[in-house]
Amino acid sequence: MTEQLDRRADTTRLQILRAASRQFAHKSYSLVSLDDILADAEVTKGAMYFHFRSKHALALAIIEHRAAVARASIDQLLARKLSGLETLLDISYLVAIEDIGDEIARAGLNLLESVGRTDGLQANVLGQWVTAYAAVAGKAIRDGDITEDRDPQSVARLLVSMYLGLRQTSNLAEPERFLRDLENMWALMLPGFVKPDRIDYLNQFIKRRTAVALKKATPL
Amino acid sequence: MVRQARSEATRRKIITSAVELFNEIGYPAAGLGDIIERAEMTKGALYYHFDSKESLATAIIEEGSAHLVEAFRSITVSSAPALEGIIHGVFVVADLLSTDQIARSGTQLLRAFGEFNDAAARTYGGWVAEMTERTRQAIDEGDLRGDLDPQAVGETTVGAMLGAELPANATSAGADMLPRVTRTWKVLLPAIVSRESLSYFDEFLARESMRHSPARLAE
Repeated sequence: MTEQLDRRADTTRLQILRAASRQFAHKSYSLVSLDDILADAEVTKGAMYFHFRSKHALALAIIEHRAAVARASIDQLLARKLSGLETLLDISYLVAIEDIGDEIARAGLNLLESVGRTDGLQANVLGQWVTAYAAVAGKAIRDGDITEDRDPQSVARLLVSMYLGLRQTSNLAEPERFLRDLENMWALMLPGFVKPDRIDYLNQFIKRRTAVALKKATPL
Repeated sequence: MVRQARSEATRRKIITSAVELFNEIGYPAAGLGDIIERAEMTKGALYYHFDSKESLATAIIEEGSAHLVEAFRSITVSSAPALEGIIHGVFVVADLLSTDQIARSGTQLLRAFGEFNDAAARTYGGWVAEMTERTRQAIDEGDLRGDLDPQAVGETTVGAMLGAELPANATSAGADMLPRVTRTWKVLLPAIVSRESLSYFDEFLARESMRHSPARLAE
């Protein structure tokens, strides 16, 4: 009996998270009201307050939910046992495709940039992101793709910074443009840390990933 | 519930013991009595799950091939272009053959029973179907030549990989499986890959074989 109740509560919670993500994916944090979310989620105020005490709590929950999903999909990519650098490239395209077409993914990063700045959440989530990237970058050094004198942590920070910057300068609502910008960003970055004789192959790898992503990405 | 879990544990124990014995002394030499002894079971417990040595072998074939097919699928069902998935997937399967005891034993039993066991026919058929489907996708994506028959390519690829495994097993107990797989792809790729993609896949294969070289595995 309690198990059943728990499950129902989980479903309601997810329903609210999804509705809220829809709002936060399209509007900035301050423009979204709890009433918009309530109307979209089709739950009572009581149910909402049972799960989330405030708009802020809801925003934090979305960021955390998104981070957990991202960790799981990165683990899945790691299980594919590709080379380190190819894995980093694949992750960046996966993140981009989800950012373009998935409301929770989009809302998660939007909120991380706005509300995440307070109470250290941004530093924490981005810190985890950088650590995960750094481990893969370390593998890329052992694979011989990234030059030995590069620090995996710095490479990881560069990649995360570039992606977060790209979200500001490019346009997620135009997948074609966003993915081309991502491709160009990689092409410009590679000579900074990749061995020269690997670059031709990796540039082709990037072009092929862009082609696949263009087919997969559908804007919100 | 508890009973079911215990019964499953017994079944596992029998399979594990049989796999160990088959890998050590070979299928023909391993008697049901040896398996019972190794598993520390009663005759009754074994016969409850398997009515003969062959039904035990069939279970190992099915489980081993399920491990391999799962690994291959998890690689090929992804956002990567299909031909990259096929090549990488075959390397991962080859790797698994040297690390996963059940998969290894299952593959050897598959050869022994190939002609008169339904599980063997299902396994080979499943691989060809899987490979044919991925081949079709790779043709659509332009990496494989447009004039190829996907079924023929699927059969040839599966045949070539099984063919690479046979001498590897016979001459080095599977130790030189990976270089053999690399050489097989080297011969196969120019015959099926489109002109525009060939140089990319030459490099793709070179990187793949470098990552899987024995020196790396020993690290």
